Amino acid sequence: MMRESRSSLLLLVSLLLFLMSFVILCTWGYNTYYRSKEDKKAASFFIKDTAAIGKATRDIANATRDSLQKIYAETISDLDKRFDSSLNYADTLKGSLKVKLAEFYTLKTEISDILKNRNNDSDLGLAKEKIAELQKKVNELLGRNNEVEQENKRLYAMLRQLSGEKGAESTVRPVVFDNKPVTDKANLPENLFQAFDLHLSALMVIDDREMETYQAMQTDKFVGSFVVKNNNAINNVAEVVIIIMQPDGKVLQKSTWESGTFESQEGKKIYSCKMRFDYTRGEPKKLLFSINGEKFIKGNYSMQVYYNGALIGKIYKTLT
Amino acid sequence: MCNVYLKQILFTGCILLLSSIQLFSQNNLKLKYKKSDVYAGIEVGSKGVKMSLVEISRNAQQKNIEFNILKDTSVNTDFISFTQPTFQSTLTGLTGLYRAAMTDYNISSDKIYTVVSSGVKIQAEKVDKAVWIKNLIDSFKIKIKEPRRQVAIIDVLQEAKLSHLGIVPESRRFNTFLIDIGSGNTKGGYFPNNNTNDFKLFQLSWGTKSTANATEKRLEDDKTMYNFNKQLYRVLAGQANDEIIYSVNLSGAYNMSDNIAFSGGIAWSVATLISPELIDNPVIPVTYEDVEGFYDKLYKNYTSFSDAEIVKTLADPTLNKVGISKEVQRVNKVFDQQSLMAGTGLLLKIMRQFEGIYEKKQFYLVKNGQVGWISAYVDQSINKPDQTVSK
Repeated sequence: MMRESRSSLLLLVSLLLFLMSFVILCTWGYNTYYRSKEDKKAASFFIKDTAAIGKATRDIANATRDSLQKIYAETISDLDKRFDSSLNYADTLKGSLKVKLAEFYTLKTEISDILKNRNNDSDLGLAKEKIAELQKKVNELLGRNNEVEQENKRLYAMLRQLSGEKGAESTVRPVVFDNKPVTDKANLPENLFQAFDLHLSALMVIDDREMETYQAMQTDKFVGSFVVKNNNAINNVAEVVIIIMQPDGKVLQKSTWESGTFESQEGKKIYSCKMRFDYTRGEPKKLLFSINGEKFIKGNYSMQVYYNGALIGKIYKTLT
Repeated sequence: MCNVYLKQILFTGCILLLSSIQLFSQNNLKLKYKKSDVYAGIEVGSKGVKMSLVEISRNAQQKNIEFNILKDTSVNTDFISFTQPTFQSTLTGLTGLYRAAMTDYNISSDKIYTVVSSGVKIQAEKVDKAVWIKNLIDSFKIKIKEPRRQVAIIDVLQEAKLSHLGIVPESRRFNTFLIDIGSGNTKGGYFPNNNTNDFKLFQLSWGTKSTANATEKRLEDDKTMYNFNKQLYRVLAGQANDEIIYSVNLSGAYNMSDNIAFSGGIAWSVATLISPELIDNPVIPVTYEDVEGFYDKLYKNYTSFSDAEIVKTLADPTLNKVGISKEVQRVNKVFDQQSLMAGTGLLLKIMRQFEGIYEKKQFYLVKNGQVGWISAYVDQSINKPDQTVSK
């Protein structure tokens, strides 16, 4: 009897131990599963070979066509939005802008024709190339657009300074900057740096070779460039800060040693990187930067250039 | 026969349970790298015993140490008072943290590093109590039943050098001057000859607490903030100023460094309050004007640094406001207005020496400086065990 009860006790303890082990293992398994799920998700993106687009079935080709159409539509609408306002005021550079716009519209028509023809898959590669070219043209036009806006802004500021009259505002046409009229708060005379020819490219690195891409999952880094000019610079050294805003609203940071905060006219902001450079009055200076990232997400990115807390240039970049 | 089977089942159950617990406790730590090892560094410092659990990346290709701080905990014991109760509490703290690393976090003995910091050594030598350190180490070995364990006593040069190696990334190693502002003193240095063997040490006898104490002594009956600000200016313009100018000139760092990085408690506080938006960043770049503006605000509008006020100013909806609020609360618990003013005043005084008209240095505030040297120590012990003070 005594022996039997001892055995039962041992059996009970064993069962209890097994049960506890089971619970702990389940908890561990649950944690590990959910932790690794996200990594697997990310890894699976890279397993897919994007180069297989040519061999894909008609459905995939149509899907590609649709996505290309989407990029194309986004590029056009993006450009339209920012050009509508500035075209009215781009007096001085109207001639060259017209030429560039003509090229742009020709390209736009060509792409539309290719994308309308759903029977010929071989044209998809061509459409892709043309869209890349179109996006390049858009960036060029946006750079030009910024230049026009900056020039207008500078002239407007100078006019205000020279006239010294309060009523000047009513006689001068309001200047449009980043689709918003310049407000009274802007201390324009102190902020005479202009940024133009803004470019932002997404690059993928394969075997130490860098290639431009428009796909988020292929992107390893962003390379940006712009030209700054100041006809009234006092110091030899100037500093600009760059913000790369991600589609989720977070700032892409270059590194913890290079990203920080600064006071802008719109309040405190986080910057992606800061650039300090030597400057000679009136000389256009090209500045280049690159920002690596572990994972780039799909959507619209913006590159903003600030000097002395004021926005002096902005462009957009879409990754699909 | 049945009993034999039962015993076997019971034994298997025990093993399974123990393994499960081990597996569970290892996975409780949020690891950052795919291939890494977790180490514990336990340091007996002037104020108490501190344990840092550090994840070190096991990537053989990378030259620079990549570490991730998993946990940072401390027990205040005030060992440098050298009294029997503080000795006992230090011993209890040291043993307790060692056992916690082994049992709670499942770190094996060979991955736990125990050291005594330079501050303890200096103070012990000053008051002729070096034997207390020896007694503490011997008692610790007996308590943990590891007579072969060695507890290294780090000197100031080694600590400053290790901090630099642990905090400053390799790309900035030879153009960065690292200055650690402690409570009682300030130490740091840089590598002047493009190699990590030669290190130029920089030391000041002023720290956050000593500056605040010197100011308080001058207050007399007028305890107002106005008087504190006035007296602090006098302290920093007097003896402290002479020593700072002399030491910075002697270091030759102005000509040799592009970056000046500050670590220590005051650097963490100022960084957190100046840039709460960057709560997750271990390093914050700042300008002299940023810190100067911060000091003015500290003096004139201290209430704006409460957690509630700071959170109110955050417009970005993507920010972790709860995390920011907690960290700001932590800063305000450690430093009051006067200590913050004293520390920031000292920081500004040192920064001023590097603020030239033509050549601007880039200043950084390092938040996790306290674990920098222990991380580098662990890293060196793993890679070059013969060149580091043994465990």
